[in-house]
Amino acid sequence: MRLNKRFYVVITIVLVLLAAYFIFPFYWLAIGTTKNVSQLFQKSLLPGRPSHLRSNMSGVFSYQNGVFLSWMLNSFLYATVGAFVGVFIAALAGYAFRRYDFIGKRLLFVLIIAFAMVPGFATTLPLFMMFRDLSLIDTRLAVLLPSFVNIFGVYMMVSYWNQIEEEVFDAASIDGANDLIAFWKIGLPNVIPGFITLFLMAFVSIWNNFFLPLVVVNSRARMPLILGITTITDPQGFPVYNLTLTASFFTILPLLILFVSLQRYFKPQIYMR
Amino acid sequence: MIRLNKARLKATMKAYLFLAPFLVVFIGLIVYPIGLGVRLSLYGQRGARMWYVGLDNYKRILSDSMFWESFRIPLFLLLIQVPLMLLLATIIALFYETRKNGGPLYRFIYYLPYTIPGIVSGIVWSYIFSDSMSPLLPFLELFGRTGVKFLTRSNVPGILLIIILWQFTGYTAFLVYSALIAIPKEYSEAAQLDGAGLWQIALRIKLPLLKGPLFTLFIFNAIGAMQVFNEPWMLGNLVVLPLNYTPAMYIYNSAFSQGRFTYAAAMGIILAVITCGFSWYILRSAGRQILERRH
Repeated sequence: MRLNKRFYVVITIVLVLLAAYFIFPFYWLAIGTTKNVSQLFQKSLLPGRPSHLRSNMSGVFSYQNGVFLSWMLNSFLYATVGAFVGVFIAALAGYAFRRYDFIGKRLLFVLIIAFAMVPGFATTLPLFMMFRDLSLIDTRLAVLLPSFVNIFGVYMMVSYWNQIEEEVFDAASIDGANDLIAFWKIGLPNVIPGFITLFLMAFVSIWNNFFLPLVVVNSRARMPLILGITTITDPQGFPVYNLTLTASFFTILPLLILFVSLQRYFKPQIYMR
Repeated sequence: MIRLNKARLKATMKAYLFLAPFLVVFIGLIVYPIGLGVRLSLYGQRGARMWYVGLDNYKRILSDSMFWESFRIPLFLLLIQVPLMLLLATIIALFYETRKNGGPLYRFIYYLPYTIPGIVSGIVWSYIFSDSMSPLLPFLELFGRTGVKFLTRSNVPGILLIIILWQFTGYTAFLVYSALIAIPKEYSEAAQLDGAGLWQIALRIKLPLLKGPLFTLFIFNAIGAMQVFNEPWMLGNLVVLPLNYTPAMYIYNSAFSQGRFTYAAAMGIILAVITCGFSWYILRSAGRQILERRH
């Protein structure tokens, strides 16, 4: 599109200023990891000198006998297993909607979508009561189980499966493949890109989910990073700013690496839970 | 006819085999808990003792000013933050269009905050505005303004606005941009031939076509606004905020600091009904769209 020069320059200035707004907290967080508390209190926009990155890192990793490492492993466990199981179950369900004209299809689909609209807050509190009765409170299973329900995944999977031509399945059934084999060998490879996209989205949303673990986990050894980092204090219970910042940085680092390296799989869409 | 029904029965059996894992977790972890929440909301509670009270909790909530006051922040977000963000995102998306390939670097940078959890943005921004660490204070001092306090309770809505705009504007702009490039080029080319200027094309041709996506985005953000929790929760570490600062905070605090589980469950149901009201529109169109291909 043609633009006159002056207008183009104005737009560029606005875009650069906005970029500064969006990038600034990342910059401040990154330099924050190089500072101890008194350097933080100097309010400078430059990295700490001398750099305390090492001592901050060892401070974070040795905090409370290395509980940070457990948080990290927990986060990876919750996000990887939860996302994979959730998306796989969604793929199976989506396949059923694509392949079969079964009794109750329409009703079931509408019901599933309707329940997707109920906010997480309304389910988390009763989940807490339910898990308490099942003695699941403060177990890893309590964080994992809810992530196995990926309604948005079902919704998206139906549309991914819909993109596969009918002939693909017909050919499979002529070859005598039974339904499970058809799903596994012929269907699944065709939806792999969608599978990866959904897996990444679920991974990020589980990694970032604060409310559920806040409600169902008490002991620090089972917390994910996102909850753990909010509990960092000195023995007197006062916040330790430099450690919290450094821990925050390592909480988002895996997300940034994932996002930058797998950018093509992150297809933003209007997101339903 | 009979044979057809047999085939349908067989298909139904197979389909439910594939659906079984999902239905188990769906019923166990969504449907049942919601039912449990509804049931709990009909009970009175003191400690571990519970007894049926019918709609008493709901009646008390209707006259509980703490609950309704907690909607101030969601309303502020709904009426100020969401429209402001949609406006900004639309302008940004139109600006992307003036760049080569839609300015991939800008799109990338603007999108980044969306990948950051609300808790971490809450931590970082609350430090950026704190009295002891704020890098903004030295600038104000340059202009002779010393002793400025950003993090006061009356400033928290403004700070929330800055944080939430920071998190979601780039993402929203990305979605609006995707909708923009889906508009056939011929439309604006034809208008250009007719002598329409850039502004006219943006206002008269593109904006009307963005109505649908913008409305959907408005609904999703409205739902998010009703449930806001993480950011004020983190700010609450540096400023004292009341227990009922947002509905979600009030529900959480009622349940876990005050132990009023059944009362909190009833508030959760009311909040759910309000958000579901917003999503009714999307529910209708989503169901229609996706199953149509097969019929």
